This record gives sequence, structure tokens and C-alpha cells, in this order.
Amino acid sequence: MTTGQQLVAIDHLTKEYGKVIALNDVTFGISDGITGILGENGAGKSTAIKILLGLLPPTSGSAKVLGQDASNSIEVRARVGYMPEHDCLPTAVSASEFLNHMAEVSGLPPSMARTRAADTLRHVGLFEERYRAIGGYSTGMKQRVKLAQALVHDPAFVMLDEPTAGLDPAGREDMLTLIRKTHREFGISVLFSSHLMTDIERTCDRIVVLQGGRLVQSGEVESFTRETETVFIEVDSNREALIAALEKRGVVVTVERTGLTIEGRDETVYDHVRDALVEAHAPLRRMAPRRRALTELFERGEAA
Amino acid sequence: MTAMQPEVRAAHGGTVFDIGYQPYTGVREGRNRGRIAVFKDGVRTALAFGRGGREKILPWLFVVALSVLGLVFAIVAGAADRLGGAGTAEKMNLPSHSDFYGIASVILFVFAAVVAPELLCPDRRHGVINLYLVRPVTGADYIASRWAAFLVVILGAAWLPQVILFLGLAGGDPVPMEYFQKHWLDIPRFLLAGLVMAAYATTLAMLVASFTTRRAYASVFLVGLFVITAPFTVGLSQDLGGAAGQWVSMFDLTNIPVHVNDLIFGRASEMSEHAPARTLPAAVLVGWYLAWTLVPATILWWRYRRLTP
Repeated sequence: MTTGQQLVAIDHLTKEYGKVIALNDVTFGISDGITGILGENGAGKSTAIKILLGLLPPTSGSAKVLGQDASNSIEVRARVGYMPEHDCLPTAVSASEFLNHMAEVSGLPPSMARTRAADTLRHVGLFEERYRAIGGYSTGMKQRVKLAQALVHDPAFVMLDEPTAGLDPAGREDMLTLIRKTHREFGISVLFSSHLMTDIERTCDRIVVLQGGRLVQSGEVESFTRETETVFIEVDSNREALIAALEKRGVVVTVERTGLTIEGRDETVYDHVRDALVEAHAPLRRMAPRRRALTELFERGEAA
Repeated sequence: MTAMQPEVRAAHGGTVFDIGYQPYTGVREGRNRGRIAVFKDGVRTALAFGRGGREKILPWLFVVALSVLGLVFAIVAGAADRLGGAGTAEKMNLPSHSDFYGIASVILFVFAAVVAPELLCPDRRHGVINLYLVRPVTGADYIASRWAAFLVVILGAAWLPQVILFLGLAGGDPVPMEYFQKHWLDIPRFLLAGLVMAAYATTLAMLVASFTTRRAYASVFLVGLFVITAPFTVGLSQDLGGAAGQWVSMFDLTNIPVHVNDLIFGRASEMSEHAPARTLPAAVLVGWYLAWTLVPATILWWRYRRLTP
């Protein structure tokens, strides 16, 4: 997969369930890399994924996956992987047998399916446990089997729906590492839906933010992070004079209980702070860069 | 000391290289491979291949029970012929191919009731169905493959005892080739009648299983359906008598395919000879059978066609 290739193209997509609008005129594209769909419960993430998998028809607009219309995509599904959020594993069979079967259902010949099943289980760290019945696995191991079944047929693109749901911190860390590995080592592009902002921030290259079925923002994660960086300063006295000196220099200041938050991460901000501190004779106690959480994206969405 | 040969060095100090992730570059066989995989898995599940011994007991118990029944028929007929001379079994009207499905129908239906839900209920209960639907098979492909898988299993269970019976009867005859020449038509008859029984049992059992995620509920409902309708309809049809009694008798679910079996063999079997519905025109009996097979099949297809995760 070449970098920058468009894997998914969603154009003015709307999905209505009766009077409920799950997706409302959403347009975005996903190219090679790890893309996160961020949204609270009911934001339309799962509906978007189901439309991309061709399981739900859109009410209006279009969704294309790997260049083909998603609503007519039985053959495209052979090149796409999906890891659902909810339980989807049989309890009585071994991981090896299950993956072998899923590879065949995806269209791989039986001999190739066996090889791919063993290889994929090795890559997700379950090689030693592959002959044990899945029912006896821990939650973390089951999540790995879920990821493995999505990768077993070597898709070009894999969609992961809340892959860290229900995992403890160590399991969550392992899963995020595996997701990064899926793209960086295996070369498989990832669409990763989550309501956990930290997971998206730490794993994804790009982000799509949905709220109430509407697209709030989409773009590079780095640009969001840059956008949300601030400088926090705390002074011992002359706080009002400092605010006036900062505002005189065109700096946007938010007054908080213990200090001031200054917008932007530009180097000139630090120069302005230095000059304003001198002018206001304000003794500096603390100055530190701070990042706003991505929650603010939702707040902006609501404001819009 | 002589230098070690390269292969010896390799044997003593081998290095394992991790070649990393290898993309799949082989052939992708698409939807048909998917359908075959679902079918194969269905057969394995029904017969508990690859499962523990405990899981194998139930399906194989039915297969063995049906085969033993065929063997008993063959031994009894063979003994009669040996003791009373050739043709004695036929003269004594001992149970034969035409009677087998009527007598074995209860075992076949209970087999379907107990084993068929195993092919559908766990997939929906554990959410595995969602993984099929996001692969290159549709809900209709899935249910058609599962239906075909169980049909093949029950067909095997229905035909095997008939084959044993035929071989037993031929072997019991003083001149086996002569028996074969006189009775070869029984082979296509029991194959067709077996297909009639299997299609009916498979479709009804699958339909009931499609309404629940619990195997036990589906099995109990099906067994109850077959067991309760038989005595109920028999009693009511005798009380009513006449045309009304005939129509009530049509609702004896165990006898619906047996009437078609009787038409195939051209004679009433022991299980259906007293059923008032037996005297209805052949077209009515066949039409009634088709209605009880095709309508459930359509509902089953419709339910899975609309399925989304």
C-alpha cells in the first residue's frame, strides 16, 4: 500500500433509522496509516463502520472502500478485516482451529489458511496457547484472538471497533502496541474506533471526530495536539498587571483559579510572557507547557 | 583436529531467524470458498469431529441407533428366508425398505431436533455470526451452507441403514444376484424417500433453531412438536372421522413425509397405513409436504438474508 492512497471515501453520508439520524451529511476520507474515529457512545462510529462493511445501506450519500461502492462490496470484504467490539468468539474450539476456519471463510485455500492461522497467532503472541479452547482464555487473550481473526486473511485495511474495551491497563497497552505493529510492521492500514481519547492520541496518525452523527473535525492527530497546546503560568503577585501586559501584546489569556493559561505553543508566546512578567514586576513561581485534552474538540463541536 | 563440515556446524549452532510478517500473495478463492468452509464446518459440528468424546456421543448415538435398526430388519428378514425358504420374509410382510423411514422417522426427527440447533444457535449466542457477515459470504450463503451441511449429515444417517438392509437382504437370499435383479428399484426409491425425509426434518429443525440462541429451547420445542402432534391428531381425526378427520390427520407432523415415502414405494408403510390422510389424492399429499418444507425454508432464508451484526 503506497502512502497517502485513499482507502475509504465517505461523501455526504447520511443514515437514518426512522426518525433517528445516526449519521448526518458526513464527509471524510481515510488514507494509508492508522486513523482513529473518536466519538462518544451513539456518535455514529459503529454505524459508519457497518456502512463501510456493506452491512447497512446509507440513506443518502456514498461510501467507497478500496475504490468500490461499500453497499455492493461482498468481494471487497475479502480484503477488509473487522474486529467487533462485542463478544464474537466460540468457546469450544481452539484459537488455531477458529482462525483456520475464518481464513477459509475469507476465501483462502485450506492449506494456506492453516499456515496463515499459525503465523497470525504467532504475531499476536498466542502461538503457545493456540491449541487451547478459546473459552478458557483471559479477556486480553480473547481480544488478541479477535484481532487475529481480523488479520488472518491479510487484509489491506482493518477496522477495529473499541479494541481496548474491557482491558486492564497492561492489556490495553499491549493491544495499542499490537495496533501500531499492525500498520508499521504488517503494512495493514487501520481504522480504529474508540471513545477513549488517550488511546487515539497515542496510536493514530489521523483522527475523525464524530458527535451526534455529525463530523466535528478530521485531520492529523499532531495538528490537533499542536492546536491544543497551552502554557500555564503561576505568579506570586501582580497577577492583574500581568494579564493586562499579556493582553496588550495580543496574547489570549484564560484566568484559572491558581494561574493563567495562555493559548498557543509558538516560541513567540514565551517571549511575550517573559516581557510581560518584566513589565508587570510579577515574580514567576511556575511556568509549564500543558496540553488540553481532546474533550475540547467535543466542546467546540457543541459550540458550533 | 580437523575442521568441522559446514552442515555439522549448522547442526551444532543453528540460528532461528524471525522473518517477520509475510504478506499473503497467494490465490483468494472468494465467496465460493467461504460457502464451502461454512458447509464443512457445519458437517464437522453436526458430527462433533475435532471435539471431545463426550460431544461425539449424542450425534453418533442416533447414527448407530438407525444403523442397528436397519441391521435388525435385515437379520429378521434373513432369518425368515433361511428358515422358511426364499421369499418368506416378503410373504410374512416383514418390515422392509418401504417401512423403514416410517418406523425410523421418530429417531430421525429427534436426531434433527437435538443436533440441528448446534449448527445455528451457538454462532448467534456467541456472536460468531457477526464475523461471517463481514466476510465475503452473505447471510443467505451462511444459512444455505449450514442447511446443506445438516442435510448431508441426516441424509447419510437415513441412507446408511437402508444400504445395510439392502445388503443384508441380498446376502440373506440364496442367490444374491437374483435378489438384486428383482429388487434393484428399491435403491433409487429409498434414496429419494431418504431425501424427502431429510429435507423436511432439516428445514423444520433449522427454522425452529433460527428463532432462539439456546440449543436446549429449540430441541425441546421440536421434540415436543413431533411427539405431541402425533397422538393429538390421531385421536382427534378418529373422533371426527370423514373428510374433517382426514385433514386433521394431515397435521401429524411425523407422517407428512411418510405419506410421500408411501407414494414413492407405491404401498403404505406400517406407520401410516391407518392414517386417514393416506387416502387423499397424491397431489394433495405431495403439495402438503412441499408446503411444510418450502415455506419454512423461505422463512429461514428471509430471516438470515436480513441479518446484520
